[in-house]
Amino acid sequence: MRLTGPNWSALRGERGRTKKLGKLLALLRPYRGRVIVMFVALILATGAALAPAYLAGRAIDAGIHDKDPGALTWIMLAFLGAALVNFGATYLQTYLTSWVGQRALQDLRKRIFAHLQSLSIGFYERNKAGVLISRLTNDVQALDQLVSDGIVTLFSSTLTLVFTAAILVAMDPGLALVTFLVFPILAIGSIAFRIASADAYRLTREKIAVVTSYLQETLSGVRIVRAFGQEPRHERQFAELNDENRVANMRTVNLNAAYFPSVELLSAVATAAILVYGGNQVVDGAVTIGVLASFVFYLQSFFDPIQQLSQLYTTYQAGMAALDKIFDLLDERPELSDADDAIDLPRVRGEISFERVDFGYGTGELVLHDVNLHVPPGQTVALVGSTGAGKSTLAKLVARFYDPTAGRITIDGHDLRDVTEHSLRSQLGTVPQEGFLFSGTIRENIGFGRPDGAPEEIEDAARAVGAHEFITRLPDGYDTEVGERGGHLSAGQRQLVAFARAAAADPRVLILDEATSNVDVATEARIEHGLRRLLAGRTAIVIAHRLSTIRDAGRIVVLEHGRVVEQGTHEELLDAGGTYARLYRDWAEQTAA
Amino acid sequence: MKIFRRLLGFLSPYRGGVISSLLLAAATMGVGVLVPFLVGRTIDDIRHGGDSLWPLAGALLAAGVLRLAFSVVRRLVAGRVSLGVEFDLRNLMYRHLQSLELEFFDTQQTGQLMSRSTVDLQSVRFFLGYGLIFMMQSLLTIVIAAGVMIAVNPELAAVALAPMPLVIWVAARYGRLNRPASQEVQQRIAELTADAEENVGGVRVVKAFAQEQRQMRRFDQSVRRVFDQSMVSTRLRAFYNPFIGFLPQLGLAAIIIFGGRQVIAGSISTGDFVAFYGYVLMLTGPMRMLGVSLGMAQRAVASGARVFEILDRAPRLTAPEGAPPLPPGGGRVQMKAVNFGYDAAGAQPERRSGEHRTEDSREPVLRGIDLDVPAGRTVAVVGATGSGKTTLVMLIPRLYDATAGTVSIDGEDVRDVDLGSLRREIALVSDDAFLFSAPLRDNIAYARPDADAEEIEDAARRAGLAELIEDLPDGYDTLVGERGLTLSGGQRQRVAIARALLVSPRILILDDATSSVDATTENRIKQALGEVMEGRTTFVIAHRMSTIALADEVIVLEDGRIAARGTHDELVEESGLYREIAERGLPDPALLARADEGREVAGL
Repeated sequence: MRLTGPNWSALRGERGRTKKLGKLLALLRPYRGRVIVMFVALILATGAALAPAYLAGRAIDAGIHDKDPGALTWIMLAFLGAALVNFGATYLQTYLTSWVGQRALQDLRKRIFAHLQSLSIGFYERNKAGVLISRLTNDVQALDQLVSDGIVTLFSSTLTLVFTAAILVAMDPGLALVTFLVFPILAIGSIAFRIASADAYRLTREKIAVVTSYLQETLSGVRIVRAFGQEPRHERQFAELNDENRVANMRTVNLNAAYFPSVELLSAVATAAILVYGGNQVVDGAVTIGVLASFVFYLQSFFDPIQQLSQLYTTYQAGMAALDKIFDLLDERPELSDADDAIDLPRVRGEISFERVDFGYGTGELVLHDVNLHVPPGQTVALVGSTGAGKSTLAKLVARFYDPTAGRITIDGHDLRDVTEHSLRSQLGTVPQEGFLFSGTIRENIGFGRPDGAPEEIEDAARAVGAHEFITRLPDGYDTEVGERGGHLSAGQRQLVAFARAAAADPRVLILDEATSNVDVATEARIEHGLRRLLAGRTAIVIAHRLSTIRDAGRIVVLEHGRVVEQGTHEELLDAGGTYARLYRDWAEQTAA
Repeated sequence: MKIFRRLLGFLSPYRGGVISSLLLAAATMGVGVLVPFLVGRTIDDIRHGGDSLWPLAGALLAAGVLRLAFSVVRRLVAGRVSLGVEFDLRNLMYRHLQSLELEFFDTQQTGQLMSRSTVDLQSVRFFLGYGLIFMMQSLLTIVIAAGVMIAVNPELAAVALAPMPLVIWVAARYGRLNRPASQEVQQRIAELTADAEENVGGVRVVKAFAQEQRQMRRFDQSVRRVFDQSMVSTRLRAFYNPFIGFLPQLGLAAIIIFGGRQVIAGSISTGDFVAFYGYVLMLTGPMRMLGVSLGMAQRAVASGARVFEILDRAPRLTAPEGAPPLPPGGGRVQMKAVNFGYDAAGAQPERRSGEHRTEDSREPVLRGIDLDVPAGRTVAVVGATGSGKTTLVMLIPRLYDATAGTVSIDGEDVRDVDLGSLRREIALVSDDAFLFSAPLRDNIAYARPDADAEEIEDAARRAGLAELIEDLPDGYDTLVGERGLTLSGGQRQRVAIARALLVSPRILILDDATSSVDATTENRIKQALGEVMEGRTTFVIAHRMSTIALADEVIVLEDGRIAARGTHDELVEESGLYREIAERGLPDPALLARADEGREVAGL
């Protein structure tokens, strides 16, 4: 999963514009053959695009002036030939550019995804999901702009400029010099315009994003808006944001109104200058009328490449920003990785020990203090304590989502740090709180931990936890699509499928975070039953919320401020009259009214 | 066509702007056509000795300056028109959405509404703001330039212009083909995003089951699908773009061969030849533009139809014109023979009942409800999921209208009074407390933006929020909601309670309002809730016996009917259903505390 191989090591390194561009180009390296063909096509297309203006001038001199219809025919054929070459070469170049660009970005997406998968849970807790996803989507798309449009524009516009300049000088250096006079004015004006409009356009994007998210939010919160009768206020606020968006856009309208007509004027000025200066030359016989006409025709499109080049600035900036963010992510090292001499954990019996374990997230305060715990194989341990007592942290350490800050955790006597991650996790079953499911069918979800499992095994697992009944009642049975994050199922149903998923993996050790959602009495009974079946015969660490689970547990471990304050069975702890007894009393009071 | 005409209606407030920008466009193009004409004349002049070189160049410059002036003004006017239309459309849509009743939103997906108010709105405004003007402008250019060409030499004009209609047709065709192709690319990117979201969200499950390789393979497939579709769209672009560029070249080639021969034959001058060449070059842009704007028009009509679908959907839950405000009173709530059923396949407000819905979702949710709750009374509503508890209380602030029967407050039918005045007298706290992306302060003061800091802090304190807020770096100014700090379910509920406490309503509705608050905190809030309930009519939907105990009276709902009502003690005696609930304990398994639900990463 790491970044290895020659391509990727070349991508890392320090900041700096050239370095960054280097990184980008390295993405294209595997496809250099196609890149070379693409450039050949690009040069051909650019050359062919410049032929018509020259040929039109030749038609005047060689055909019209010399009164030679045969020459006209040849020139017309050359003209059509150039147009066809341009057509074909442009097709090839467009296709290849897109192919190479898309392929390179596909590689990059895979690479980012693989890298994300290799990072530890701690990383996911520090970073917002939305940000990580936008690396894979928005940022890669910003790069797409740079790779597909930016690089081609850079080369084709530069080539067009250079070729045109060369042709003009070759035809007549004097006239060429006059043409070039307007060049600096246009270049400076264009760059100034682009810089000003880059800011203006960024502002419009920001404003419209605000408008859209305001709309989105008031639509999702429509219940609250209606319930409190606050529609007029939202309408007012929306109109304000909408107006800000209009004002921001007005600036771009004004900038465009100043720039594009000015370019047209400049073109007219250049044409007039060429005609006056060149006209005198023609009268003097120094220049032919055809050459003068060619100059006028060239001027028509001479300004396009400069405008296009100036547009690159925005694309370049956006692309570079995206590149920075993507490589920052790729440079993130996994915090937990297998030791070099890690062994495959053999089939375990499920004996878990915490020996003097301290733990704190990052360099922050300790969340667990000196935890000692010995769980014999097959026992269910219920973790009990208030929010923030350290229950889920303790459970996470067993799955080695984190390593302890001090002390050690063993399973069948093996320190978790000495075994491979894969061999450990494939023997652990985990049931997260809200029964997170992946989109796909129920069958796929139950078989998640065992993609090679036979259909009977999946149904057996569902039967074992009492999920079979509701599944077969669904219209598509096991092939029912559960929707994004299991959204088509109710919370209770999701929970049962998550149980079945854990049962199908048939783990020796189970880590379970009990759901707390309100479900109706019947579902509740089914869940309790399924849970009992799932826990039977396995070592289990349960973050418990149900009284039934806690009562049935072989041992209750009470956590308070990261310390184990009490251990024992329900009866033992009630007799002891400590923290657990107090918590139980609170709860009983609340239920009994 | 009808939709098209209606779309044009949006331009009517800007009639002046539209007309003047069209006139200016005509002027710009008229002057623009002068440029190739003057170039042609100059070439002829040069061939005849170049006597009028300076005046002609001067005329050329003057044409350029005039064109600049016209086109700057045109861009400013047209830009204002298009931004104005955009502004109006968006406000209109938003105001309309705000006027629609809740039931409408139950039957619509937020994503659908979003896409109509953004994507569809955008294609409408692009067409009205830019497309229409482009279209007119291109047409004018074509007509003027073609007219001049035909006037000078009809034969040559005919051959030179022959490929031009093809340009329009091909450009429009490209737009038609490319749109679905590139939409499919967007669709597949959206799928890829969903894939990535799910993986980031479910990373613990993936890691817990050591299934990284499998997820990697799935993602590779999504990436591959994006690539394949991108290439479909690329092949279209690779062919059509250069093809559209190629067609006018045929016209230019025709000028060289036929025009050239005519010059040799002496029927036209070299200057005419150069001018013709210039006209064709000048025409290619507008031709392509015309094709593009035809595509825009098609899209705008399709989008317009979808936008009008919403705009034409009249609000069904409105107060009569000039309805009086809710008269003062103590908050007596009466329901007489109330029936209620959700319209069509609408989602029910009880979101937890998200099971696969059966076909007959029109089935009545409430049947024959008769209820008279005197002012100041606290009523608990209990019953199984789907028994109609939430629906019942939603009828009080008239978030839905009863299908039959009447709901009245202090003797006044809720359908006869001003909606705003009615809802301002009722505060609702529901179990999934929605927070806006705004400072905590504004969220608490949501229903009373005029509340001062002291009142807000008092409400927060009573809802058991004070300590939490003190711990926040920015205190009451901390941004919460989707784009701010993520609060846990219990914390959100407490904010919602504070929001209701601040209103000081006539009627308070607590719909499972403390379901995510842990027992210890709930004990603290309970006192505050008790104080608020004092002297107000209160409806409580709850699962905990401790909350139910706050009520003067309990209503047991079963399948949308009132199965029993009375005090706790009476019901334990009389109602089997209630006794079962009371004995078995309500299905509320949260013994000690709920974990934070707000995390974006799946639990554990």
